[in-house]
Amino acid sequence: MKNMNRPITSKQRVAAGAGFSVAVAAATALFVLPVSADNDAKAAAAKAPSLSGSELYAIHCNRCHSERYPKEFQASQWKTLLTHMRVRANLPASHAKEILKYLQEESGN
Amino acid sequence: MKIYSKQFALTTAGCVLGICQAQHASAAVSDEDFKKLADTVQQLSAKVGSLEQTHQQDQQKIKSLQQQAAKTKEPAREAPPQAAAPAAPIIDLAGAANHNVVLAGDAEIQFGKMSGQHAGFTMADFAPIVLYRANDNILFEAGFDITLGNNQSTLPGGNTLNNGHSTSVDLSFAQLDYLVNDYLTVIGGDMILPLGTYQERGAGWLNKIPDDPLARSILPSSGVGVQLRGAAAVGTDGSLVTYSAYGVNGPSSVDGSGNSTYADGSGNNPFNLDLGGNVGGNANLHRNPSYGGRVGYFLPFSAHHDVEVGISGQTGEWDNSGHHRWSAAVLDTAVHLGSSIEFKGEYISSWLQTEDIGTAKPDGWWVQGAYKFAGLDLDLPLINSLELVARYDALHDGFGTNTNRGTAGFVYYFTNTLQMAGDYEWFHSKGPNATPGSGFILQLSYGF
Repeated sequence: MKNMNRPITSKQRVAAGAGFSVAVAAATALFVLPVSADNDAKAAAAKAPSLSGSELYAIHCNRCHSERYPKEFQASQWKTLLTHMRVRANLPASHAKEILKYLQEESGN
Repeated sequence: MKIYSKQFALTTAGCVLGICQAQHASAAVSDEDFKKLADTVQQLSAKVGSLEQTHQQDQQKIKSLQQQAAKTKEPAREAPPQAAAPAAPIIDLAGAANHNVVLAGDAEIQFGKMSGQHAGFTMADFAPIVLYRANDNILFEAGFDITLGNNQSTLPGGNTLNNGHSTSVDLSFAQLDYLVNDYLTVIGGDMILPLGTYQERGAGWLNKIPDDPLARSILPSSGVGVQLRGAAAVGTDGSLVTYSAYGVNGPSSVDGSGNSTYADGSGNNPFNLDLGGNVGGNANLHRNPSYGGRVGYFLPFSAHHDVEVGISGQTGEWDNSGHHRWSAAVLDTAVHLGSSIEFKGEYISSWLQTEDIGTAKPDGWWVQGAYKFAGLDLDLPLINSLELVARYDALHDGFGTNTNRGTAGFVYYFTNTLQMAGDYEWFHSKGPNATPGSGFILQLSYGF
């Protein structure tokens, strides 16, 4: 096979630097975003999903696993599980909150 | 004037009469009576003195009691207000408890047979996930893989004997999640990597087929480092964008030498690559970690009708000094056409620069389809609980071995989390590391 052990070129360095800069800018924006959003009631309203918690539950949860019934866990347990699923399944916070509200209300405890 | 004159006359007369009357009274008190009166006055004086003394004592007692009461009030002020009155019972609908521990996970047992081998129980696995929520923004999660295996003991004469079973405990992942805000979560620890979606969504009871796609073997399952991830809703129809970026120690050498050679120090092939990398003072823990990330888009049309696509990758040096890189790119997709029909798959490509044989390019792909008979809405519970599944996957290991596999199987749902899965697999493999024949696997799994 052909040996591909070449030193990193200046072009590759520029590309890597540009990529890194974009990543840093994106991360900075993510930290700053909620501050400006909190100051803007319209933006906050736009974030809220129009779909109900049960509808979002049907959309998201069955994508990966069978339906889990609300009464399988207590309200505080659902909060922990939804925190876990928000991270694992990369759910938007607004969707996760609506789903959690639905599951807690239906959990009956 | 007449009025004033009359008043003066009346006053004068009154005074004269008064003086005369007083003279008459004093004349009536005898010495005996005066002495009695004096005695009485003395007794009363003594009583008043006694009362004054008692009053002074009472005053001192009151002062002392007031001081004691003041001392008692001080700690009462420092006590929390709710201690003063019993708290009303609170219904924790919002899950307000700060600390909460939940045990999730799954357990499996497999029975199988591959061509050229005897049938047998091939695996018993218990994979708990411990979730500890410290508060609204902090979650610690750790996944374990506890697996039974054969236990070999050495007899006094030097012979060996399998006399039972042993237990292996692996840490699948252990990560601390900090939810910074609605758009960003910071994760640190041993993390499942977002290279495609299979690993993050691939617990034993979630896989419709008991074993993993072949091409997943050329990717690391976890990495030690830091990750930023999150998601943002797009519009109000449930659409969303997901994103993640991470830095991890990255792949290293199997033998800990830090050399990016094809074979390890013991001459073992196919290559001296440890995809999981190392933790601690071993190889590849210099100043060159690996970086990666994923961007995905999820578009729902309605409940159970959706499309998801994603692209992810990772790159970094895997040796200590030669600047040889290991890189990978993954395209993933999933489609749901109703609650009964699902398709998903991944294309995985990787590049491995070596010291001695150039760049190897292992790659592969898999597609999987599943159909639940519940979609027919028949009045037959046994049929409604059945799902058929099929998968085709391929792996080119980059060193001359190409393997294709077809799989057909089923999942029977006893409950929503207790299920029996089974499949039959056909291998078509050529090359120095060819996989022989075909076989079947049955798996009973339970998710909790």
